[in-house]
Amino acid sequence: MSSVPTTREVLTSPIFANNPVALQVLGVCSALAVSNSMQTALVMTIAVTFVLVFSSLIISVIRNFIPNSVRIIAQMTVIASLVIVVDMVLQDIAYELSRQLSVFVGLIITNCIIMGRAEAFAMKSKPLISVVDAVGNSLGYGVILMGVAFVRELLGSGTLFGHEIFVTIENGGWYLANEMFKLPPSAFFLIGLMIWVINIVQDRKG
Amino acid sequence: MAFNKDSIMGTMIFTISLSLLCSFMITGTAEILKERKLAKKRDELKRYVLTAANVDLDGEQSFQELFDELVTPMLVDLDTGEMDSNDAVMDFDERMAAINPDTSRKPKKDTAKIKRRANQVRVFKVADKDGQLAHVVVPVHGKGLWSIIYGYVAVKADLNTIENVVFYEHGETPGIGDFVSAPDWVKQWHGKQVFDASGDVAFRIVKGGAEDGDIHGVDSVSGATKTARGIQRAVTFWFGREGYQTFFDKLKASEV
Repeated sequence: MSSVPTTREVLTSPIFANNPVALQVLGVCSALAVSNSMQTALVMTIAVTFVLVFSSLIISVIRNFIPNSVRIIAQMTVIASLVIVVDMVLQDIAYELSRQLSVFVGLIITNCIIMGRAEAFAMKSKPLISVVDAVGNSLGYGVILMGVAFVRELLGSGTLFGHEIFVTIENGGWYLANEMFKLPPSAFFLIGLMIWVINIVQDRKG
Repeated sequence: MAFNKDSIMGTMIFTISLSLLCSFMITGTAEILKERKLAKKRDELKRYVLTAANVDLDGEQSFQELFDELVTPMLVDLDTGEMDSNDAVMDFDERMAAINPDTSRKPKKDTAKIKRRANQVRVFKVADKDGQLAHVVVPVHGKGLWSIIYGYVAVKADLNTIENVVFYEHGETPGIGDFVSAPDWVKQWHGKQVFDASGDVAFRIVKGGAEDGDIHGVDSVSGATKTARGIQRAVTFWFGREGYQTFFDKLKASEV
């Protein structure tokens, strides 16, 4: 890094300008899979935030003790342990939701955003700024996930957080639910559109 | 001696302490959540059993109270038909019992493709509000296309007519094989009879649809032949000689 970014930049840049999903195209797998309803997307975002913040914190604290030869394994160990903890807690407090999220909570381990931040940022930075960076990146992930889930749930089921917004024909209303938005491929198109928009805005800014 | 993190010794010390730290983190969480998890599992079981027996859960009583009032859990020895009822029955782990060689055996004819069958299985006698035996809820499981499908079948006091079924766990193809938990499909089971007049299992899941008035048949679902076949085989197995038939005979004799 040529210039040292300020805390504010570290927090805000991953939300839009350097969004982990839209611009680095990381963590797309889970974004496709769990974004068919706002509720699962929110829970997934919270789970990822928890894992990302604590893995960045722990790795940053022990960064000076991590031998270079085993650093990836060490990061994986920390991340995997945190994911197991999240999975257990989730099964306890929200069993039905954890069933809907099924393997995708476990697959947070392989979410490149988390490994990426651990390797690229937490290994080289002090704990506090690492946590800020982690929060920024989780927000960036969350914004995309919630945005995609908003469109998918609204158009796919006519609901938001399970509340009916468009009354579907099945329930005697006017809205014909677009089933395609319930399926993962629709998230591809939506994320693609988001990447397009963000790139245009970025180009305008220069 | 200065700590050199990149020496072999340093790497060893680091990895060992990191592993210990992480394992403490996980076991700590697991230990804290253990009691709650057990209670949840018990609640879930109660709910499945009551749903299978078509007990109305929306009443004033909570389902835990209903369960305590109406249901008698029992351990049944499948080979002898002996029943045993005690407090530990609720925490009996059927899946462990089915893989432990001391408490299970290979079925003579493994039609349900379950490999090992536990000697003892937990069944539930459900009484109606007057205390009369109304239903017997028995667990069944068998291999579908990808996964073992687990469910509970409730039969009426004649030990033949099906009241309801609950398939609560499966890993069949989403959108194709997951009809097993769809209420519309399960509804077809209501009132169907498991055994024919000669006492053999006649229950069938019929490809192409069961005929009207078929008291043993339930429609299959196109595209999910293997899942449906798996369920049919599970029913055939569990209501056969290797399953509950001995127990049913004994129960019938004791109820008269």
